[in-house]
Amino acid sequence: MRRSTAAAVGTLTGAALIVGVRLSVSAPAVPAAAPPAVDLAGSGQDAPPSKKPSGKKPSNSDSSDADADSSSEGAAGGTGLKNGIFKGTAVKNPYGTIQVSIRVEGGKITAADATYPTTADSATINPPAIASLKQSTVQSQSADVDAVSGATFTSESYVKSLQAAIDKANA
Amino acid sequence: MHHAEHVMGTVVSIDLADDLPAPVLRAMIGDVCSWLHEVDRRFSTYRDDSEVSRLRRREIDVSDCSADLRHVLEACADLWRETDGYFDAYAAGPLDPSGYVKGWSVEVASARLAEAGSVNHCLNAGGDIRARGLSAKGEPWRVGIRHPWEPDKLSWVLAVTDRAVATSGIYERGDHVFNPRTREPAHGLRSVTVVGPDLALTDAYATAALAMGEAGLAWLAKLTPEGYESAAVTDDGRAFTSSGLPTAA
Repeated sequence: MRRSTAAAVGTLTGAALIVGVRLSVSAPAVPAAAPPAVDLAGSGQDAPPSKKPSGKKPSNSDSSDADADSSSEGAAGGTGLKNGIFKGTAVKNPYGTIQVSIRVEGGKITAADATYPTTADSATINPPAIASLKQSTVQSQSADVDAVSGATFTSESYVKSLQAAIDKANA
Repeated sequence: MHHAEHVMGTVVSIDLADDLPAPVLRAMIGDVCSWLHEVDRRFSTYRDDSEVSRLRRREIDVSDCSADLRHVLEACADLWRETDGYFDAYAAGPLDPSGYVKGWSVEVASARLAEAGSVNHCLNAGGDIRARGLSAKGEPWRVGIRHPWEPDKLSWVLAVTDRAVATSGIYERGDHVFNPRTREPAHGLRSVTVVGPDLALTDAYATAALAMGEAGLAWLAKLTPEGYESAAVTDDGRAFTSSGLPTAA
């Protein structure tokens, strides 16, 4: 479910803002032009062809073939948008997971929202959780240690490693 | 007593700090080494006659596999689900459980040592560590985390007892960690260290978080309630640590 689209995502506020701005400018463009943050399909290339957007929509509209439940789809409006509530795929970014949803009525987007999942499982990756990771710049130090943890070295690169020096000192 | 053994394509450093007669310690080290070589023979993808290679060629069926290999396959499947597919024993195509086997085999080695009477030891398999009890100084084991850009420097020093410390990074073997979703080399994070009770899992979690890229930070934060602390460095040098990371005073 997670797409590697997180990079383009700002914060929840940012994503909501994008939706909000798009909403006020041109409703039909919302799902289409919204960047990965509001990848409403989340399924772009995976979506069956039948769900591809119609010609009325902008060509760059991977995100408009929403994976909405068919039950929530209403009659197509004049703008080519179907009525209903469309939830985007939950997208992870460094600040947590967000999910964008829009409501379409009469072919127009009448509401847009972005939420952090609130289930017990995902509640731990909301902003407070990511904030629990302390951020700093990477430090550089030399210290007396018993062992060194690092990316796995090969038998060949071992000789140049700090661990080899420790082993030598203890031999 | 110290020993460094070349096995499984890397070097495993064995440090026994128990006050036991030298012949006893030597025998314990010998047992650990024979177990690790046995694991290499049975699970290496580089050996045509290993059980894993035979399973790959479908000469044997999963039901014919040893209990150990069935455990490894089940653990890999569990981890695949638990990590949203980012820990993937099939990331490179054919089955390659090496990412689980190394940590698991050292975890088993440590448990066997404890059973045999060594309750103070530190095993380091090429950078992935399982420490038990106290060091010869009577203090928690001091474990340095390699600086992701300066090979001879440390970015953190931890003090651990009965903990596993595993680090995945892209600096040692180049772009060898792939994002299984995109089949592209992972980027965003340069180094991920996970500290927890079990080396097989800490190792797999570190690998999965690295493959996720920067989204791995949020995923790591999610692990802390389960007792897995973390320290990660992004490509651009930002460092993130969980609040319970056991840094040395």
